[in-house]
Amino acid sequence: MKSIKIISLVLMALSISASFAQVKNQKSENVKILGNCSMCKSTIEKAGSIDNESSVNWDKDSKVATLTYDSVKTSKEDILKRIALVGYDNESFLAPEDTYLNLPSCCQYDRAVEVSANMDKPKSDMAFMDHSAHANKIIEVQGANPLSGVYDNYFAVKDALVKTDGVLASTKAKMLLNAVNEVKMDQLSMDVHMVWMKVLKNIKEDAAKIADTKVIGQQRSHFHSLSKNIYEIMKVSKQESTIYYQFCPMANNGMGANWLSKEETIKNPYYGSQMMGCGKIVETLEE
Amino acid sequence: MNKKFKCLIVFIAILSTHIITAQNIVRYDLTVTDTIVNYSGKEKRAIAVNGLIPMPTLTFTEGDIAEIVVHNKLKESTSLHWHGLYLPNKEDGVPYLTQMPIEPNETFTYRFPIIQNGTHWYHSHSGLQEQIGMYGSLILLKKKDDPTFRKGIDDLPEAPIILSEWTDIKPENVHRMLHNANDWSAIKKGTVQSYSEAIKAGHFKTKLGNEWKRMLAMDVSDVYYDKFLINGENESKLSQFKAGEKVRLRISNGGASSYFWLNYAGGKMTVVANDGNDVEPVEVDRLIIGVSETYDVVVTIPNENTAYEFLATPEDRTKSASIYLGNGIIQLKSRMPKLKYFEGMKMMNDMMNMDGSMDDMGMDMSLQKMDMNTVMYPEISGHPDMKMDKRQMDEKMDHSKHSTNTDQDLVTLNYGMLKAPFPTTLPKDAPVRELRFELTGNMNRYVWSMDNKVLSESDKILIKKGENVRITLYNGSMMRHPMHLHGHDFRVLNGQGENAPLKNVLDIMPMETDTIEFLANVEGDWFFHCHILYHMMAGMNRVFSYENQAPNPYLPDKKWAYKKLQAESNKLHFMAENDFATNGNDGMLMLQNTRWSFGTEWRLGYHDEHGYEAETHIGRYLGKNQWLMPFVGFDWRYRKQNGEVEKNLFGQTNTKDQRAVLSLGAEYTLPLLVKLQGEIFNDGNVRFQLMREDIPISPRIRWAFMVNTDKEYMTGLKYIVTRNMGISTHYDSDMGFGFGTTISY
Repeated sequence: MKSIKIISLVLMALSISASFAQVKNQKSENVKILGNCSMCKSTIEKAGSIDNESSVNWDKDSKVATLTYDSVKTSKEDILKRIALVGYDNESFLAPEDTYLNLPSCCQYDRAVEVSANMDKPKSDMAFMDHSAHANKIIEVQGANPLSGVYDNYFAVKDALVKTDGVLASTKAKMLLNAVNEVKMDQLSMDVHMVWMKVLKNIKEDAAKIADTKVIGQQRSHFHSLSKNIYEIMKVSKQESTIYYQFCPMANNGMGANWLSKEETIKNPYYGSQMMGCGKIVETLEE
Repeated sequence: MNKKFKCLIVFIAILSTHIITAQNIVRYDLTVTDTIVNYSGKEKRAIAVNGLIPMPTLTFTEGDIAEIVVHNKLKESTSLHWHGLYLPNKEDGVPYLTQMPIEPNETFTYRFPIIQNGTHWYHSHSGLQEQIGMYGSLILLKKKDDPTFRKGIDDLPEAPIILSEWTDIKPENVHRMLHNANDWSAIKKGTVQSYSEAIKAGHFKTKLGNEWKRMLAMDVSDVYYDKFLINGENESKLSQFKAGEKVRLRISNGGASSYFWLNYAGGKMTVVANDGNDVEPVEVDRLIIGVSETYDVVVTIPNENTAYEFLATPEDRTKSASIYLGNGIIQLKSRMPKLKYFEGMKMMNDMMNMDGSMDDMGMDMSLQKMDMNTVMYPEISGHPDMKMDKRQMDEKMDHSKHSTNTDQDLVTLNYGMLKAPFPTTLPKDAPVRELRFELTGNMNRYVWSMDNKVLSESDKILIKKGENVRITLYNGSMMRHPMHLHGHDFRVLNGQGENAPLKNVLDIMPMETDTIEFLANVEGDWFFHCHILYHMMAGMNRVFSYENQAPNPYLPDKKWAYKKLQAESNKLHFMAENDFATNGNDGMLMLQNTRWSFGTEWRLGYHDEHGYEAETHIGRYLGKNQWLMPFVGFDWRYRKQNGEVEKNLFGQTNTKDQRAVLSLGAEYTLPLLVKLQGEIFNDGNVRFQLMREDIPISPRIRWAFMVNTDKEYMTGLKYIVTRNMGISTHYDSDMGFGFGTTISY
């Protein structure tokens, strides 16, 4: 009984001394750090504090933080930089744009400066121009190629698979199925028509199966045969732009699988982000 | 007084007319001295030029004559190499290849015409001096009336940027530790990839598969650095730039072994030149700059009262360096997330054949277009800790509009995107010389070579003036290599046809095949080597030598000099270890170079019953992966056993009382990195032994075991405390249980 008392006394003494073991060469300063809620508070304080070096106490109402730190080991600037790097603007540093955008929505405080707005201006001008040019092109071509609806939706399915987004892939596959049904076969030239009749049934089947499920693995296995058939038809018909027939040797359980893309850069629909760059171009279909 | 003054005026007048009429001679005096620096909180030796690290930025204009006078005030010899410059061979600055080393207290003058423009750099080519301060920017400006002058690029405000790194460990020691597969660097970087970490990450099978294929932990770089530097500082500011202004950064990577990712907080970057040669502007989100490459990048300062962070992150992403452009509150760029090493390991397992060669699965990789390392990049392939949450979320709701942490649309520069603004084709009627090199190496013994031969095993490669030399490079090793050619720019055949870009450094990733070509137009002996300093010092070099060249006045005896050059990259490395344990001393001493190994191991008890034992082996490593080492040996032991006779597994008898025998044997590295040793002694006895000493249980704990046909065995654990010290415990069939302290060098 007695020994327990002694132990607890020792423990108490220890904990007291621990709480008194404060930062050496102590310096304290108050600084403003933007933020909203108690979630922000814990993120800010965690990022700013390091054992035996610095501690931060942030008040969510006044937005003022008290920094207490060892002025030999660190500086106000170091602490504020760490805090900005987890998403919080302060007097010395602005948080990176993407870090701010990835904060939980309750934490997305109003920034003093709209960093992105100004920065994107030259870029958005260009994007706007690009876009208009692009739109015109599509309208032109739509009259020319009765299969463009099929192709566009095939690429949409592929992009969804690249993003590993089963829900989107399903929606896009449904649209692909509609586009397949709406193809005006009387407008197809003879040779294209022949191939189209050959692959039509399989394309429909695969599109329907991708549309029916949201399980990405199953969608990808049907996408393999879908791509093969689309390739058959694309080879004989006309495209509005250069198309790349690409191949990943690892897909389809190591047997390899192909897909079609408008871009030269490899973006793998069979693995998505797991192995985005895996693959190579095996054939280029010119315009 | 008056007269004197007049004289002076006349004199000045004469001088200035002289400068105007003749070619403009631009002279720099460079004094090389020892200095003490403090980058990490510790004072260490470094080398400064004119008191500066990096060395001063040298600026010339095309058409100038450069006159650079080097005063060597060191206690060792030195040299300066003008990286990327076209110049007479004797001015190239490679000791024992183009000149004799500049000895202590000697003065040497480099003098050559400037016949090109662009961003270059210069560095010492002596030993490992480049690591401790001897690197600097070398800017060659275009003449104002140059027909290639690009308005909006060549007239922008600009700043030289030179990247580098600092280690508190002496570079000679870093080099020695690399050869000894010392994993202190990995411990400091947190990249040991031990079994406990593998299990925690759910990658036990990956780790086992990796060791089964005889690979050490995979990493993208080998050396632990205490600090990364931009223009000699970890953080600095260039506040002269104003909002709305475009700025040209002339970036050189003066690091000894670090590739750097470049990111900018103020938007996209436009690459306008590479290795001192203009390229068609190309806009990117980020780029990686290989060791010794240069890139010219144009960035914009978007807002007023804000300074934008230009962030250089070494490829292993352990730390970073920043320079802030502009004036005011600092806009930061987010840090690059940590690499997912086990994902990389898994990929390597798939690509590695059992015989140590690599299989690209028919993907024909080239020109940095497919970076297999992306499996390790969380910003592209997703965050490991996010995975679970994301999967759960996927099931619940449509995820397509949600902001994720991955950005697959990041534009990363690769060599395929570089295009010269004008045709760079070589003369069509010149004879073509085709060469092919496979880059080879093995991590375990840190041997780096070409076609499995280091410089000391190869002659100079003879080429003829007027030839087009076309080189195909295949990287069959597990690391990337920045291959640098002296004195020439080569075309990189990257699919841009006539406008193939000109470079003098080619970064080539594992399994890639690239083709380069150049016109042999300046005679001499030109170095061609990997620019990772520690790979170069391990022998990953060749020399292109023009046939029938005129003698070099700075190097009268070229044959002798080449032998010296060869010896520099095949030095012996020393290694020693002793475990001072309660049951005896266990230790070894080793001296090794590229192929040879001289080693002695001992077990010394504290009394006669435990005995004393020493084994000496002299062996030679064979093959590309150096898994096989035949050796001759000598064993000596003494142990008081009262005439007791021991029998081995084969029924052969053996007294341990006193024994001195010669042996013939071989050591072979088995899957799981277990060493099998077979030996036959001159008394007819045979012994086989299995051993492994460095199984990484946790980041700092290593497990060792040994068992042999003499019915001896040992098992032990070691906890690594510092670079040179560990605490160990082991059980030995001869000496019993013990624990102690292991000191290693």
